[in-house]
Amino acid sequence: MDREQREDLARRVLAFSHADQTEVLLVDRDASLSRFTHDAIHQNVASADLSIAVRAIAEGRTGVARTNVLDEASLRDVVARALAIARHAPADPEQPALPAGVPPPAPAEAFAEATARATPQLRAQICEDIFRAGKADGLWAAGYAATERGGITVANSNGARASFDGSDAAVNVKMNGGDSSGFAEAYETDVRRLDGTLLGAIAARKARESAHPRDVEPGSWTVILEPAAFGELFSYIADHFSALSFDEGSSFLSDGLDRTYLGENVTITDDYAHPLAPGMPFDFEGYPTKRLALVEHGVARAVVTDSYWAHKLARENTGHALPAPNASGPQARNLVVSAGSKNAAQLIAETKRGLLVTRFWYIRTVDQKKAIVTGMTRDGTFLIENGRLTGGVRNMRFNQSILEALRHCEFASELSRTGGYSYSVVVPAVKIENFTFSSGTGF
Amino acid sequence: MSFESMAARTLDTASARGAVYADIRFEVARTERIEARNGVVATLSDSTSRGYGIRALVDGTWGFAAASDTSDAGLDRTAARAVEIAKAGAAIARRRFGEAPPKAYADVFVTPVHRDPEDVPLNDRVDLLLEAERLLHAGPQIGVGRAWIDLWRTDKYFYSTIGSKIEQSIRQTGCGLQALAVGNGDVQTRTFPGDIGLYASGGWEIVERAGLRENAQRIAEEAVALLSAPQAPSGVTDVVLGGSQVSLQIHESCGHPAELDRVMGWEANFSGVSFLELDQLDKLKYGSEIVTISIDNTMPGGMATVGYDDEGSRSVRSDIVRDGMLVGYEMSNDTARLIGRESNACVRAESWEYVPMIRMCNLNLWPGEIPFEHLFDDVRDGIYMESNRSWSIDDHRLNFQFGCEIAWEIKNGKRGRLLKNPTYGGITPAFWNSCDAVADAASWVAWGTPNCGKGEPMQSGRTTQAASPARFRGVRVGVGYGG
Repeated sequence: MDREQREDLARRVLAFSHADQTEVLLVDRDASLSRFTHDAIHQNVASADLSIAVRAIAEGRTGVARTNVLDEASLRDVVARALAIARHAPADPEQPALPAGVPPPAPAEAFAEATARATPQLRAQICEDIFRAGKADGLWAAGYAATERGGITVANSNGARASFDGSDAAVNVKMNGGDSSGFAEAYETDVRRLDGTLLGAIAARKARESAHPRDVEPGSWTVILEPAAFGELFSYIADHFSALSFDEGSSFLSDGLDRTYLGENVTITDDYAHPLAPGMPFDFEGYPTKRLALVEHGVARAVVTDSYWAHKLARENTGHALPAPNASGPQARNLVVSAGSKNAAQLIAETKRGLLVTRFWYIRTVDQKKAIVTGMTRDGTFLIENGRLTGGVRNMRFNQSILEALRHCEFASELSRTGGYSYSVVVPAVKIENFTFSSGTGF
Repeated sequence: MSFESMAARTLDTASARGAVYADIRFEVARTERIEARNGVVATLSDSTSRGYGIRALVDGTWGFAAASDTSDAGLDRTAARAVEIAKAGAAIARRRFGEAPPKAYADVFVTPVHRDPEDVPLNDRVDLLLEAERLLHAGPQIGVGRAWIDLWRTDKYFYSTIGSKIEQSIRQTGCGLQALAVGNGDVQTRTFPGDIGLYASGGWEIVERAGLRENAQRIAEEAVALLSAPQAPSGVTDVVLGGSQVSLQIHESCGHPAELDRVMGWEANFSGVSFLELDQLDKLKYGSEIVTISIDNTMPGGMATVGYDDEGSRSVRSDIVRDGMLVGYEMSNDTARLIGRESNACVRAESWEYVPMIRMCNLNLWPGEIPFEHLFDDVRDGIYMESNRSWSIDDHRLNFQFGCEIAWEIKNGKRGRLLKNPTYGGITPAFWNSCDAVADAASWVAWGTPNCGKGEPMQSGRTTQAASPARFRGVRVGVGYGG
């Protein structure tokens, strides 16, 4: 469904409602993914859906109903259900009016027709390029090539009208050897910029060069985290920038803004228009998303809000709402960590003894307030001696405060987009002193 | 048009396009979520999602396409898409993973429900949560109280070109409480029941069994008490784990590594591989002789209890670990065939939008013979831990580290003072071989997990791990806090 059709549908649904205020959110998504292992595609999938969510507010009471059945009767029913649910909810004195604002245009790069029209043959070609890259070294590949397009329209009875069309494409590859593995990834809004041969070669090189890994002792290490590793680690403090966490006391920022929490070289922004991750210029309430500095030179400057939390805390609405109903609070969806001045190769060259980490796995929070997390290295961990990579090491478990890490770190000059199933961030590689590994493995 | 008519049209289209086998799974999912937070209803929502997923097999290669468009054109387009996807994969395949399922079934399955949640007025459902949440505010240090109910109904209609026709109506219910206490520069959380709430297949009887109102004040008081409790020690000691924590332990350290797709490298780039390699079958001493772990997708109340899995195989019970030895895996048709076995029906998809894949389903540690209160008798120095707070395990499922919300010191066979931030870690087979006691059936609870993540695109699975509390000797504790 194109933008005009979505907006027509939203107008029709709004007209069915007799609530005091009504919001309609349409999400139209068509996503495909070709997943491979042992050099063959084993899960090759595509899914298309258009769902509609209606938030009805009556006398300060809110109900939400959702459907993906789009005939006239079902659309009337979803509106009626939202209102009926609202009438059973107690009034919330903090509930503000639904917001209305005019979002700026989306970044032009957010949508690529080539991605929206990508075929299974195109994804298969990317996969085959990857398979070929590992063949010379006797490696087998596992990973995926994915493409998707999405359209979002938000409209409400207070005049909000916002639509966005975006696309996304990704390649993820792990090359597997006898006793080692290597990883590479890329995310682009335009699938034509994905290079399976290059990514396969990077992953193959890492698998090859980390073969016959040796044991090193757990303990305190200087580490250089490549963007995939640092991005996942960093994503575990994303919630701390939410007004909800800030207010309830579980955020490291809860002691107050305009205080120094991190190193002087740490600047963190939320920027939907960053060239590496161009995205939606409004939130799921249709309100314009502000591009804002959350941390400047180590000093906390802002948390993100939506209409509810802006009203509750008497702060500006920064346009970071998730789809209603949302008990999790607003979310910074486009985090960017500013780059440093030296490239990653220089950071390695300046390291006398340390570890280069390609990727982490299964990070979980151990202590929320101190932002201590644990996790494992995987798919390419290397020893650095006298400024050079001297071979692979067996994987280790770490226990580390992210805040402590960001007080003793140096960022590389190149930025990359990295992500997982629950986050997408733009970060540089980073060198961290006194990173704590607590135990090892046999692989 | 009926589901059966739509299925006939779709399967004909897939066959005409070149599929040697195809199946279609229609699903109509209805979900209700109510969540009270700090005195207000933060979530009150009702969702309906209807759609279908088609699997098409071409030249030993699968294609999958899903859509919500049930018009004739939508059905035809989606069937053709599934076949086109399969052909694109087949064109570059260096291996063939797929074959048609060996058996067809015609049957109906309905989850037994003692009290239909729809018979409980919405006002009463909301009032119960508001009251339970209010009881969590036992003092000014409670920063956040939460109480929630999830009601899920999924109707599935499965048809295949080899003649399967399976209708299933699945009902699942869950609820829970959480108190977050803030003070002394610290944040502490307590959750009830277990670490995620009580989730099971069935109806309103599950909410009644949970006892939210009856336990809210105690949970909140524990959260506040933790703020001033001493830090749990670091070192090596004996550990008794509460039932919900044992449930998570088997989920992460047995359920996931026993997924045969993972063993075969099908999850290598994301969820990882497994130390339970094929050459270990019937040879590896996974745990001590009192450790028997089975899948049972026929078990009453299990979150994964169904008549048939999502590729049309009939639910069974089978052992993964018997008397400490590795004897089986969780399997699909394709993976079972590769090791000369039959599927044990462990294939699920999150919803109509997703391709079916191996999931752990209901995975149970069978109870021992010791009453729970006697697990402490033989412990001179140790720690008793309850309710998971943190969980991490490597991509081979060997090196794990878990943290719990709450713990108590054990001294000379007695439970002693409260401890905060307990953690423990180890290597999976060594840990399970250190298990010397599992509590008896009186404390055996089927703990549902509503959000198990696996696959790409990521799918959220609904599993159950039934377990009693258990005792482990010589465990490393305090990891992450100096240990």
